[in-house]
Amino acid sequence: MPVAGQVREERSVVPATLRRHELETALLEFSSQPAPRRPLWVRPDAGYPGRLDLEVVLEERLASAHASAPGPAKAPTADAPYGATRYDENAELLRLTGVTKRFPGVVALDSVSFDLRRGEVHAICGENGAGKSTLMKIISGQYLPDQGSIIYKGNECHFASSLEAQAAGIAIIHQELNLVPHLSVAENIFLAREPHRGIFVDRARLRADAQRCLDRLGVDIAPGTLVRTLSVAQRQMVEVAKALSLDAEVLIMDEPTSSLTETETSQLFKIIHELKRAGVGIIYISHRLDEMAEIVDRVTVMRDGRYVSTDVFRDTTIDKVVARMVGRSLEDKFPPRTSVPTEEVLLSVDRLTRTNVFSPVSFELRRGEILGFAGLMGAGRTEVARAIFGADLPDGGTVRLGNETLTIRSPIDAIRHGIAYLSEDRKANGLSVNMPVASNVTLAHVDAVSNRFGFIRFATEAAVAQRYIDTLGIRTPSVRQIARNLSGGNQQKVVISKWLFRDSRVLFFDEPTRGIDVGAKFAIYELLDKLAAQGIGVVMISSELPEILGMTDRVAVFHEGDLVTILETRQTSQEEIMHYASGRVGAQHASGA
Amino acid sequence: MSTVTRPSPSLANERRKDLIQKFAAFASLIVMILVFSSTSEAFHSVDNAMTVALQVTSIAYLGVAATCVIITGGIDLSVGSVLALSGVVAALAVKAGMPVTVGMLLGIVVGALCGAVNGLCVTRMRLPPFIATLGMMLVARGLALQITGARPVSGLGEAFGVLGNGSLFRIETIGADGFPDVTFPGIPYPVLLMIVIAVAVSIMLSRTTLGRHIYAVGSNAEAARLSGVNVARVTMFTYVLSGALAGVTGCVLMSRLLTAQPNEGVMYELDAIASAVIGGTSLMGGVGTISGTAIGAFVIGILRNGLNMNGVSSFIQQIIIGLVILGTVWIDQLRNRR
Repeated sequence: MPVAGQVREERSVVPATLRRHELETALLEFSSQPAPRRPLWVRPDAGYPGRLDLEVVLEERLASAHASAPGPAKAPTADAPYGATRYDENAELLRLTGVTKRFPGVVALDSVSFDLRRGEVHAICGENGAGKSTLMKIISGQYLPDQGSIIYKGNECHFASSLEAQAAGIAIIHQELNLVPHLSVAENIFLAREPHRGIFVDRARLRADAQRCLDRLGVDIAPGTLVRTLSVAQRQMVEVAKALSLDAEVLIMDEPTSSLTETETSQLFKIIHELKRAGVGIIYISHRLDEMAEIVDRVTVMRDGRYVSTDVFRDTTIDKVVARMVGRSLEDKFPPRTSVPTEEVLLSVDRLTRTNVFSPVSFELRRGEILGFAGLMGAGRTEVARAIFGADLPDGGTVRLGNETLTIRSPIDAIRHGIAYLSEDRKANGLSVNMPVASNVTLAHVDAVSNRFGFIRFATEAAVAQRYIDTLGIRTPSVRQIARNLSGGNQQKVVISKWLFRDSRVLFFDEPTRGIDVGAKFAIYELLDKLAAQGIGVVMISSELPEILGMTDRVAVFHEGDLVTILETRQTSQEEIMHYASGRVGAQHASGA
Repeated sequence: MSTVTRPSPSLANERRKDLIQKFAAFASLIVMILVFSSTSEAFHSVDNAMTVALQVTSIAYLGVAATCVIITGGIDLSVGSVLALSGVVAALAVKAGMPVTVGMLLGIVVGALCGAVNGLCVTRMRLPPFIATLGMMLVARGLALQITGARPVSGLGEAFGVLGNGSLFRIETIGADGFPDVTFPGIPYPVLLMIVIAVAVSIMLSRTTLGRHIYAVGSNAEAARLSGVNVARVTMFTYVLSGALAGVTGCVLMSRLLTAQPNEGVMYELDAIASAVIGGTSLMGGVGTISGTAIGAFVIGILRNGLNMNGVSSFIQQIIIGLVILGTVWIDQLRNRR
């Protein structure tokens, strides 16, 4: 770290405009370079071009720019108010003043101010509905502010569309991924910017350029792969690659790591460091506060659509930030476990199989237990849950609930037996976005709010929905609000309400806290504990190990479609789980023997 | 958690907006009536109002059906052909000696069967609704032409015409000259049937669990499936309903003409879809109301009648109605854009 800091310090001496120019030239030059993975037979004497990639080109360019930089480039001064060594003090890239945005029934942003400098990572923190996403949409040109000004590179801007903002150099990586599933990775990265030869797309170059973007991220995805065949994590990496290829000066990252593994995250951070060096201003939104320390320079906190504070990250603490976010201090990340698992086996899964998806899986879930499913992305955890729930049909094996062997052909059967599954992708599989909150809450159990002729009792339904709005703290102007207008965390709570109202005996929570802020997470943890205490069997699929360790009784670890082992949470550690999840177990045994 | 504030004014605001949107379509309807009334004497009469109502009925039956199908995210292109098939089946049955009621019920059952085949193609064979119903459009038309030898079926007797031509509360006295003197034309049965169907389907959509499931399927089919909604059954229901209503339309139309035409109902499916779309139903699924569709059906009916009364040629009429469809949907898009 200190060494890297030293390097950046030197780089920051280069005037921003020059660096910008140099970056462009480097990129241009780079795109005309031969592909790094060029087959050897093309020019046998050249061999594999080793470290010839964007990083090297950039470094060389910047170094020479530094050497030839004209005199008045200021060195950072010691009395600079902020961590001056990290970014260029004077290069303000973006400034928002008094930005206000109203939606029907909500003031999403109330006179918010914000600024971003070249080469800094500026984090924005806030709970769900604090207005972060709205602010980003205004910066990236998707919304026009009702009031306030946006000054970008010294000029007042009114971006009428995200395309305009993009052309001006403001790129956004969306939390909800915006990729075209039926096109290849390369085509997605260069969508609407395809390199062409005459009227035809230059496929070879498209592929090579995409390969270079992906190599730079260190992701192992072939550029010709269709996006629909990729996992969520892989799609996220493609999004990052796309934004990088845009050659942006302002890069907005909305929850970029929420579905990345630790390796992928550290890859991304390497890229972020590199972009900082090149003078790109990065706005970084994340709920994972702990990982911010590695990259963030300043942090702005928002609450309820209002600006709260901006601090240099080094001079503050995560606790202080969290306290400002929630408006109170947070005792602990996890509530104390009040539930005690019983000995009674509730759900027993025996050699459940889906050919080519997961190998035979057997486990037992006890009454009142929280069982964690840990593993990397694509390890088969979601697939096992979906097979038990009947969303995808298994090829073999049995599922027993109590003493009864179940035949589950569709989710209808599973739900009738009291098994519920909360999907990881709530927009695609969980929520009916066009329908009101109340209809979403009762969707899995409309019969309970209807009379025997199938007529819905609207008063009852509204009361039910209101009950969950109150108990789970769902922020919505009314039970009739269309679900699409809610923020992500509140949508998740609506989906959870749906299954709570259904009175299930076994609940599968697939990444229940993904993309959700600290306060809401705590509420969901409390809820899981309360459910277990009521004798419900809870399975929590999670990629966040602290969450697994903090909340579960036992943890089943998956690796590439295998349930590797089931560990007692109290007697295990993050390291041990990772050990099994990364599949190093076999190698370990081999070398140990 | 912090206390949840519920700003009720905003809700009222939204409701008002919703009302204004509905009112906007309705207002344009009124404006149209006023304009046509001033330009044409003939338009502005009770008799013509009845004619319009009668003309609108067939669009409305099919529009109601189309709305249900479109809300689930599907489409039914076969209704025009299915109504012809149902009509000729009913007529042939009556001709073969069946009582009129039984014959017509048979026609409606045939329509429902066609719908069921559409539904099976969509849910079991997983064909895109556009293709499944396009196939049925050709099959049903071909069947209707085949079983009649492409000749109209006539000589069906008085009783066959009652549904299409009779009316409730008709008051007439036999005048001195021996001709009946109509004091009140009554409410034609087709209009009555239209009201009953529209109200029933509207209640079904808005107040019952089935209706809720129809919206859920159209809003997000996968979410509905994972919530335990029987997506296949719900989808199936909408296609059967669509087929049955096409059957009803066929019987009413043929009854009005006292002749069963196997060539009847060509392009009616487009009127039906247009009325739903003008009424605010989204072809993406999940959004739509029967009241909107009713307004849409009247917009098309009145436009056609009014232009006729003003002596506008049928070619120009097509152009105008086409533009109206484009215009209304465009305005709807503008309203929904933030």
